[in-house]
Amino acid sequence: MFVHRSTPTARWRLALAVVTTGALALATGAALGSPTSGKASSVTALIGSSGPAETYAVRNAAKAFTKQTGIQLNVIVASDLGQQLAQGFASGNPPDIFYLGNDQVATYAKAGDLAPLDNLKNVKSFYPSLRAAYTYKGHLYAAPKDFSTLALIINTASWKNAGLTAKDYPTTWAQLASVAKKLTRNGQVGLCTNPEFHRLGVFMLQAGGWLVSKDGKTATVNSKANQTAFNFVKSMLANGSMKLTNQLGVGWGGEGLGKSMCAMTIEGNWIAGAMKADYPNVGWKAVELPKGPAGRGTLQYDGGWGLAAASKNKADAMAAITYLTQTKVEMGNAKAFGVMPSVMADRKEWSKTYPQYAAFLAAADYSRSIPPVPDIATVLGDFNQQLQGLPNTDPKTILNRVNGELQAILK
Amino acid sequence: MASITTRLREPGIRGHEAAAGWLFLAPVIVILGLFLVLPIAMAVWVSFSDWTGNGSPLGAHAHWVGLANYRHLLTTPGLDQNNFGTSLRNNLYYVLFVVPVQTAVALFLAVLVNRRVKLVGFFRTAFYFPSVTSSVAITILFLFLFSPTGVINKLLSYLGATGPSWLYDPRGLFHVVLGQFGVHSPPSSLANGFFLGVSYWDWLSGPSIAMCVFVLMAVFTTSGTFMLLFLAALQNIDDSINEASALDGATEWRKFRHITVPMIRPTIFTVVTLGLIGTWQVFDQIYVGTKGSPLNTTLTPAFLSFNQSFNNNEWGVGAAIAFILFAIIVFFTVVTRLATRSPDHVPRRRRFLKAQPGGSAP
Amino acid sequence: MSSATAAGRPSTALRSEASAARRRRVGKLVSYGVLAAIAIIYVFPFVIAVVTSFKTDPDATQNPLSLAPSPATTGAFRQLYQDQDFLLWLKNSAIVTLSVTFLRVFLDSLAGYALARLRFRGRGAAFATIVAVMAVPGVVLLIPKFLMIRQLGMYDTYYGMIIPLLVDAAGVFIMKNFFESIPISVEESARIDGASIFRIYWSIVLPMARPALVTIFILSFQGSWNELAHFIISAQSSGLNTLTKGVAQLASGQLGVGNRYPLKLAASVLMTIPVAVLFFVFQRRIMNVSSGAVKE
Repeated sequence: MFVHRSTPTARWRLALAVVTTGALALATGAALGSPTSGKASSVTALIGSSGPAETYAVRNAAKAFTKQTGIQLNVIVASDLGQQLAQGFASGNPPDIFYLGNDQVATYAKAGDLAPLDNLKNVKSFYPSLRAAYTYKGHLYAAPKDFSTLALIINTASWKNAGLTAKDYPTTWAQLASVAKKLTRNGQVGLCTNPEFHRLGVFMLQAGGWLVSKDGKTATVNSKANQTAFNFVKSMLANGSMKLTNQLGVGWGGEGLGKSMCAMTIEGNWIAGAMKADYPNVGWKAVELPKGPAGRGTLQYDGGWGLAAASKNKADAMAAITYLTQTKVEMGNAKAFGVMPSVMADRKEWSKTYPQYAAFLAAADYSRSIPPVPDIATVLGDFNQQLQGLPNTDPKTILNRVNGELQAILK
Repeated sequence: MASITTRLREPGIRGHEAAAGWLFLAPVIVILGLFLVLPIAMAVWVSFSDWTGNGSPLGAHAHWVGLANYRHLLTTPGLDQNNFGTSLRNNLYYVLFVVPVQTAVALFLAVLVNRRVKLVGFFRTAFYFPSVTSSVAITILFLFLFSPTGVINKLLSYLGATGPSWLYDPRGLFHVVLGQFGVHSPPSSLANGFFLGVSYWDWLSGPSIAMCVFVLMAVFTTSGTFMLLFLAALQNIDDSINEASALDGATEWRKFRHITVPMIRPTIFTVVTLGLIGTWQVFDQIYVGTKGSPLNTTLTPAFLSFNQSFNNNEWGVGAAIAFILFAIIVFFTVVTRLATRSPDHVPRRRRFLKAQPGGSAP
Repeated sequence: MSSATAAGRPSTALRSEASAARRRRVGKLVSYGVLAAIAIIYVFPFVIAVVTSFKTDPDATQNPLSLAPSPATTGAFRQLYQDQDFLLWLKNSAIVTLSVTFLRVFLDSLAGYALARLRFRGRGAAFATIVAVMAVPGVVLLIPKFLMIRQLGMYDTYYGMIIPLLVDAAGVFIMKNFFESIPISVEESARIDGASIFRIYWSIVLPMARPALVTIFILSFQGSWNELAHFIISAQSSGLNTLTKGVAQLASGQLGVGNRYPLKLAASVLMTIPVAVLFFVFQRRIMNVSSGAVKE
């Protein structure tokens, strides 16, 4: 069409023109679409959001921070936080600050991806246990922002219908087993929970077991106490008063509870928002998990802010972290999505605002975080996979296997 | 640029052919070199290094560790080896189930739509349509169909059967069948022997119920493509051959078995090879669907390689898995070629051409 | 069908012919039945997908099989538009797919022409290289491509998402084969007239290659529109999410958001429309494309 003149040069020019136009189109597109790479006065924050409420709360806090300091704080919501973080580090252009679970902190710290936060202004205000959960080789690698603990969640209607009252809230394993049996009726099982360490692990603690020895050097996954714990779980699975969520075909305990497939489950603070959104008509109550042979025990999820070692704007990023972990912001988050503040001073206010969730906060006194060991997320990932087969497997087999895996990364 | 222009002005087109030829090829060659040859070289280096994703793999953060990553996968007992062995087991069963079934189904469909029947266009379209839709959309559709309270289990309930929880069910198919005969636990000889960190008993598990969903999905999405390949081959068979055999009074089946199949042998080779190459590369479905769950029974080497690198920062191990997977694919392709070699075989290059209907491997 | 050729045969043959015809009629009925049954299996899932996208979440969970949404709602589609970045994903998919498709058509035909028609040293080697490339499985290249993209500073840009996808050995092949099937005499006369090589390629050969170009167009469009893995490893910011990536992430939803099947299926249905349209428009050609590639 545009070939009219016939000198050979014209054709070549045309060819080049076509190629160049193509390249230009690409360039324009790329320029339009590439994320604004951090200018001196802007900080990028990557978050893994539990839902619109959390996203909204964090964005608002970021806006307030910008208004107060003039530092631009861009909040990006990750669709797969772990993968995006890993790709960010590997691409050499990670976000400045980001959500960091304490199962990942040691892995990234060891790889040199994280900048220490020992000099954070408000470092002393956090719960010591939370600081410990984010400490690797003596340095703090994330500022705790909030935490959630696991409690026993009960469907109040099922509870009543089974003829149970507030006096019957189980405080021992035996009582748990007995109420679970009573609640197993009308096509509903007594207790259901996800087959993963971060749920079933509470029984390990209640039995006096744990993943590692006190000095953190030896794996103790296959200890007697842990075997006792899983044998107890197995006994409930065997008599039908408990089912794993994969046996029920639901995604998690909250869904099981909401769909009335089970009367009790083990979940954390986030259950409040989820039940409100998906199953507003299902009444529920959170109580502390029962005592095992070794007393109380539960697990916690820790949320923190990490700072990239490759960040070009560390001072502003630190300021942002300090701002995002102060009382005002954390209480805002608590209201928005139910987590508990990492700042000790907020405890009173939180329990005053949420008396109905007292069980979660009470558990803070004895709950445990995952030990900060590099690659522990990988081992726990396998633990979770193995636990999916728990109904058909001897717990000892699983525990021995995971023990070996954990020992391998401890040395 | 100037020199090219002047040379082109010279009389005699042939003289410019070299310059023009390379110029025409240049973009393809450059992109090929930049995004295929060089990257592979770089990944080979990473597979021999301890790079954890920090900084450049060519910089100070990566050190030579020799065969450590490969040893980790092949000879050192531990989580890496176990995951790798498990993923191989899963994918092997996937291949063993998908390739024969999809080939047979595709051939069957091709024979059906090769007849001169009404609405044949509609049928061809219906069978081919799943092949053009994206794996993401199809996976989501199958997650819905096979959800524990989903379409399939509802259908089964009408037939009076209770369906399994499909994608949540880690039980191996063979183990389930053995369970029907009262065999629930392995003899100690099978339980205590291990290969690649997986016990012999677990090697013999068969695909898990969850994996079976992916098997069905693969057959559903690829049979249309392969049906077209078979259809073309069938239409190439001379009508007179069919007629001659019809006169001989040969039954349909005998005709199919003794005339059709031998004549389309090259296409069968193509379909089996493409099937093998495709089925060893399952990634999208796992990424969208299960991420390897339950009990790692849908973990595939392709997904494991991705996961080890991009999620667990073990880039060396991830790269090593990719290269072992490459070797496996090459091995299977060669074996297939040897096994299906026909007496009157087509020159190599041509066959290769045939094996590429468009590069969109299933 | 074969009766005409057999007409001259003796009567025994005629009789067996009659019974064969009867057999064929029965066979035809059976194969219709079988065809219809299989067609239902192949079509039904898509029908269910469309129907479910108009359901509410509880309806989809409780009556997965029902073909009448009650109540029927476009809530899922509205959610896609309001709560998800569906339009952004669509834009990115369009940008990437169109760039990849047009560039591929151009580059493949250039290379195909050189390999088919131009004689020069190294042609065989270049050809062999491209053959070898076809043998490398794509999944194996995920890590290598990521490494190279980041090394070149293209990570998280459209460049990184588009340029590596331009390698299309199969397309080069299709073009080469097609050019070889065009009689060379057409070009010879143009050469005698003194037309340049590019001129011959651009204004004489290329217009004749329309069928092959359309083939490449379809294959490239479909391939890059449906691509997932490459986009996962070449970009991370949500601003660069394509439809496949965005919808895949919908599928692995977060705790407490529920199954959301209507939403996910609505997204799947919408993302299928462009390839479906392309498929139906070029249906005849597609059905012949593959056969053409096989028949040579």
